[in-house]
Amino acid sequence: MLHEIPVERYGAGGPWMARAVEACVHCGFCLPACPTYRVLGEEMDSPRGRIFLMKEVLEGRLAPSDVAPFVDRCLGCLGCVTACPAGVGYGQLLVPYRELAAAKIRRPWPDRLLRWLVLETLPYPARLRAAWRLARAGAFVAHLLPGRLRGMLDLLPRNLPRSSPRVRVVGPQGPRRARVAVLVGCVQSVLHPEIHEATVRVLARNGVEVVVPDGQGCCGALAMHAGEGARARALARRNLVAFPEDVDAVVTDAAGCGSAMKEYGLLFAGRPEEQQARRLAGRVRDVSEFLHQLGLQPPPSLAARVRAAYHDACHLLHAQGLREEPRRLLGSVGNLELVEPADAEVCCGSAGTYNLEQPEVAQELGQRKARALMATYPDVVVTGNVGCMVQIAAHLRAAGRPVPVLHTVQILDLAYRQQGVPRLA
Amino acid sequence: MDPRRVVEGLRTIYPEGRLLARPAELLPYESDALTAFRARPAAVVLPESREEVVATVRWCYHHGVPFVARGSGTSLSGGSLPVPGGVVIALNRLNRILRLDPEERLAVVEPGVVNLAVSQAAAPFGLYYAPDPSSQPVCTVGGNVAFNSGGAHCLKYGMTSNHVLAIEAVLADGEVVRFGGESLEQVGPDLVGLFVGSEGLFGIALEITLRLVPKPEAYGTVLAAYRSLEAAGEAVARVVASGLLPGAVEIMDRLSIEAAEAAVHAGYPQDAAALLIVELEGEEPEVEAELVQLLEVVRASGAYEIRLARDEPDRQRIWKGRKSAFSAVGRLSPDYLVQDGVVPRTRLGTALAEIERLRQQYGLRVANVFHAGDGNLHPLILYDGRKPGELERAEALAGEILRLCIRLGGSITGEHGVGMEKRQYLAEMFCEADLQVMRRIRQAMDPREIANRGKMFPEPVRTAQPAVAG
Amino acid sequence: MSSHTVVRPPDVRSVQETVRNLSCVWPRGAGTKTALAPPEGAAVLELSQLRGVVDYDPAELTCTVLAGTPVRQVEELLSRHEQYLPFEPPLVSAGATLGGTVAAGLSGPGRYRYGGVRDFVLGVRFVDGQGQLVRAGGKVVKNAAGFDLAKLMVGSVGRLGVLVDLSFKVFPAPRARATLRVDCSTFEQAWGVLRALYGSAFDLEAVDLEPPSTVWIRVAGRPESVPARLRRLQEFVQGGQAVEGEAGVWERAREFRWVPEGWTLVKVGLTLRLLPQVERELASAQTLRRYSVGGNVAWVACPDEAVLSGVLERLGLRGLRVLGPPGPPFLGPRGPDGFGGRVKRALDPAGRFGPGL
Repeated sequence: MLHEIPVERYGAGGPWMARAVEACVHCGFCLPACPTYRVLGEEMDSPRGRIFLMKEVLEGRLAPSDVAPFVDRCLGCLGCVTACPAGVGYGQLLVPYRELAAAKIRRPWPDRLLRWLVLETLPYPARLRAAWRLARAGAFVAHLLPGRLRGMLDLLPRNLPRSSPRVRVVGPQGPRRARVAVLVGCVQSVLHPEIHEATVRVLARNGVEVVVPDGQGCCGALAMHAGEGARARALARRNLVAFPEDVDAVVTDAAGCGSAMKEYGLLFAGRPEEQQARRLAGRVRDVSEFLHQLGLQPPPSLAARVRAAYHDACHLLHAQGLREEPRRLLGSVGNLELVEPADAEVCCGSAGTYNLEQPEVAQELGQRKARALMATYPDVVVTGNVGCMVQIAAHLRAAGRPVPVLHTVQILDLAYRQQGVPRLA
Repeated sequence: MDPRRVVEGLRTIYPEGRLLARPAELLPYESDALTAFRARPAAVVLPESREEVVATVRWCYHHGVPFVARGSGTSLSGGSLPVPGGVVIALNRLNRILRLDPEERLAVVEPGVVNLAVSQAAAPFGLYYAPDPSSQPVCTVGGNVAFNSGGAHCLKYGMTSNHVLAIEAVLADGEVVRFGGESLEQVGPDLVGLFVGSEGLFGIALEITLRLVPKPEAYGTVLAAYRSLEAAGEAVARVVASGLLPGAVEIMDRLSIEAAEAAVHAGYPQDAAALLIVELEGEEPEVEAELVQLLEVVRASGAYEIRLARDEPDRQRIWKGRKSAFSAVGRLSPDYLVQDGVVPRTRLGTALAEIERLRQQYGLRVANVFHAGDGNLHPLILYDGRKPGELERAEALAGEILRLCIRLGGSITGEHGVGMEKRQYLAEMFCEADLQVMRRIRQAMDPREIANRGKMFPEPVRTAQPAVAG
Repeated sequence: MSSHTVVRPPDVRSVQETVRNLSCVWPRGAGTKTALAPPEGAAVLELSQLRGVVDYDPAELTCTVLAGTPVRQVEELLSRHEQYLPFEPPLVSAGATLGGTVAAGLSGPGRYRYGGVRDFVLGVRFVDGQGQLVRAGGKVVKNAAGFDLAKLMVGSVGRLGVLVDLSFKVFPAPRARATLRVDCSTFEQAWGVLRALYGSAFDLEAVDLEPPSTVWIRVAGRPESVPARLRRLQEFVQGGQAVEGEAGVWERAREFRWVPEGWTLVKVGLTLRLLPQVERELASAQTLRRYSVGGNVAWVACPDEAVLSGVLERLGLRGLRVLGPPGPPFLGPRGPDGFGGRVKRALDPAGRFGPGL
């Protein structure tokens, strides 16, 4: 599409954004792939509509605040990227645009407070724990909180797992086939530390030496998607330092984190750290991707038969293009019947902090996802991202059909340990 | 009418949220899939019932405000381009399949239902909706009806018009009419045939009865690679001369192969100058027998690589590449114009050679991807709008190609419709008397010419004003 | 009965002049649809002189002919190139013209496979109510330019314009055919066969039901596959006999040889689901029936059309009178003519082609 974006005015992100706009031919193939368009049926809430709007802002014809409602509603799921025949790098437009617009939009104070609270707690495990304790203890003040913040509390579990001591290096079982560093992450390490534990065990079981570097922290994805580039870079810089170069891969087990780290090059585009960021980004692999490339040691069968419905995490499928890999891994597990729910590739509505900021759409998407999953009568739902796990578990619970929701790597772990899928209490 | 008064008026019909009037809400509706044209409406409305559509049309008629009905906005001819200051009636929320009757093999749908959704709903009963435009996962039945959309299977199965049984529509002056019926055979003039392809100039279809057909028992999909475009064209002539009647015969040239392969990894041979896709379908014994003959013909036609789709996913991949080709060309060029001319099948070779000559003369790249079985060409003219004069050159080349199609005894549009883009060429295809009659019919349906004003008919010729001397 | 002036214009220009000069005209081809009669006071504009193939290139799979060309002539030409008109126009032996077939909107049993006359008309030239020569559609198989007035002419029984020439899509002719005759014990059972076939993936060329309980099924294709397909079909319907001399069976249907001399033959469009009810009603009146196109058409013959008219009114079905004593074209209930009425007024404002549709 033709544009008049003064590219030079927008720094390192400028050419990326311009390229995305240029590639878009407005054909509309993205419409059915877009969760908000599916819910709202309006052109401004579609990828090509948003591209149009962002283009107008970049060209100076509209103010960022004019288009904010629609760009804010974008989940950043990148379903449109998978669907796009023209190869539009939508994410490469959205992320720099949001950073650019964030500086120019004065949002109402509850929004700012909410965003500040989120970005000041979620990326920091200690603060998140403290906040959780505060929230549980202070249920009496819950009614004072804005509704959306209360929604966030609703998603939090009743009990937090104990934080376990972090092991620095785990040796491989059998001959060493590879050496990797893993990202522990932030939210996941508080809500579901067992995923990380499963990852480490499964990697070790496959002959991989696992290093858990000190000094690492949040990947910066939440801040990046909220348009807080500086904050994201501050978080990412720690990882640039923390992750060693002498490993075969940097493995993540949260799709959102993995895709964010693969984008570090763009995050630091035009900055001194760009090269270093690109190198790290180039080594990042999702755990399913890594195991598939390595060649999974065939696990024994699960202890009991299960029907598993697989949900494609957006940041695995759309952002990292990993469709077959997790399915192949799961397919190698005996006693597991893999079923494909309808619209498996459509976002569940979690999308980072989305369910806090756009609760109506998130709610609708969560309900649709739960319905599609329930229609397959699963014993377990499997996916590759902690955000999806929390959202899907909550909506299955709300629909009265609580089913365990596990990470792909947890299923492998159960198989290696010759256990079955646990039932929910 | 002042846009503010339009919005005020429509507020009596629509609640907040379903009446869009802010710049950021209108902007995304300013164009369809032909972005060379843009126009800002006064308002966009999102009706959720047919009563709201009728009320909107009546309001527009009463106030003389032009309206444009819009589905998914995938028109490649600017067919759903808004009228400046008019109303866009976005029908996306009228997307219910009202009735699916497998025994009578029909589906009754609202206009906003997506084409592919009909086939998906019918699939459990072994049925499908045959017209398959490339945008079928996106485009709506309402839009298909307005523009008589085609697809890859028209030679054998016809276009949208051949698959619509009945229509309920609101005409531009607000009268609600019904015509056609559930039977394949009607008595009296074929009014459905007239309405389909009328480009929204009569009014808006509110309810459409579609004919479903049984899914063929077997497909035989052959992909053949050629060293030249002419050789592929020649192969089509041989296939037709052999007495076969394939469901689809498609050709893609080097540029479109490259683009499609980059987009969907269809597994096309990358060194081919042209690809031919031929699909047979029907009962298994028949397809098997035909396939033997088809492969013979294709082999004899000089294909250097021939592949048969192994299974359904493989077949889908082959088609996905073909159907993504238009948009995928966006990878090769910042801008392009898609043409939709038709020539008699035997003139394909002449047409392609002439397009190549013109292309060189105009110094532009052209990607060719076309429904060879129907003689329906889709030259995509690649240009860079930032280079001064390039758009004008591209448009001039497009015009020459359309004239070429007319000269060869074909048509300026096979399936995209005349829309905004080709309206000045309609007068070259038809004479004034033909157009007059069409205008009279339009007037009979829409005396104030408010329904999709400005589309299809050429602008009245303006007498040239003498330049004012300074 | 009033007599009508008959004009036989030698060319298109004379057709235009005739329309301009007379207040009421009625186009006629060979007059094989005997029941379709000119309105009171109308001159008959006979198109028998406008005959001949204008354009036919077998490689194009299209054909353009003047409206008064006999179908038989076209079919003979096509068959020399192993091609055919898949909608199987009726009354060919009787001398039907292509213009008349389009104007009456008639297709034969073979319509089951690829569609009816409306699906094969690509373009027309006609003279409108003001004597203007109008062209619409084209000669290519795919065309979306302008309003599709070619389709509009199908079934217009001369009320919207005088057809001058027509372009058609044609197909390669199947090299082999076979017909299966299935004798059921009841109409309901025969109906069940039709329903089962309608929902199946069998690629059949024709499916007719001849009351009380015989189903005729025709398969067309390649000589090497047709026998196998016929066997599969026999398994599916659990019986049936292959018919020797099958062409004659269909010829009888296509030419309406089963209709007794002097009776009225009416075409009724309906759907498969209605068959038992329609059959019940019609069987109790004095009628002969043949259900064609898998239950989408009923051909009904009767000596007294007043009875049939009553039945159609009751069933809410419309019929077109095809054979029998001359009279108005349509039977059965008329719907509101909002859309059609507007078309009529636009094409024939002075009512030269008779009143209404």
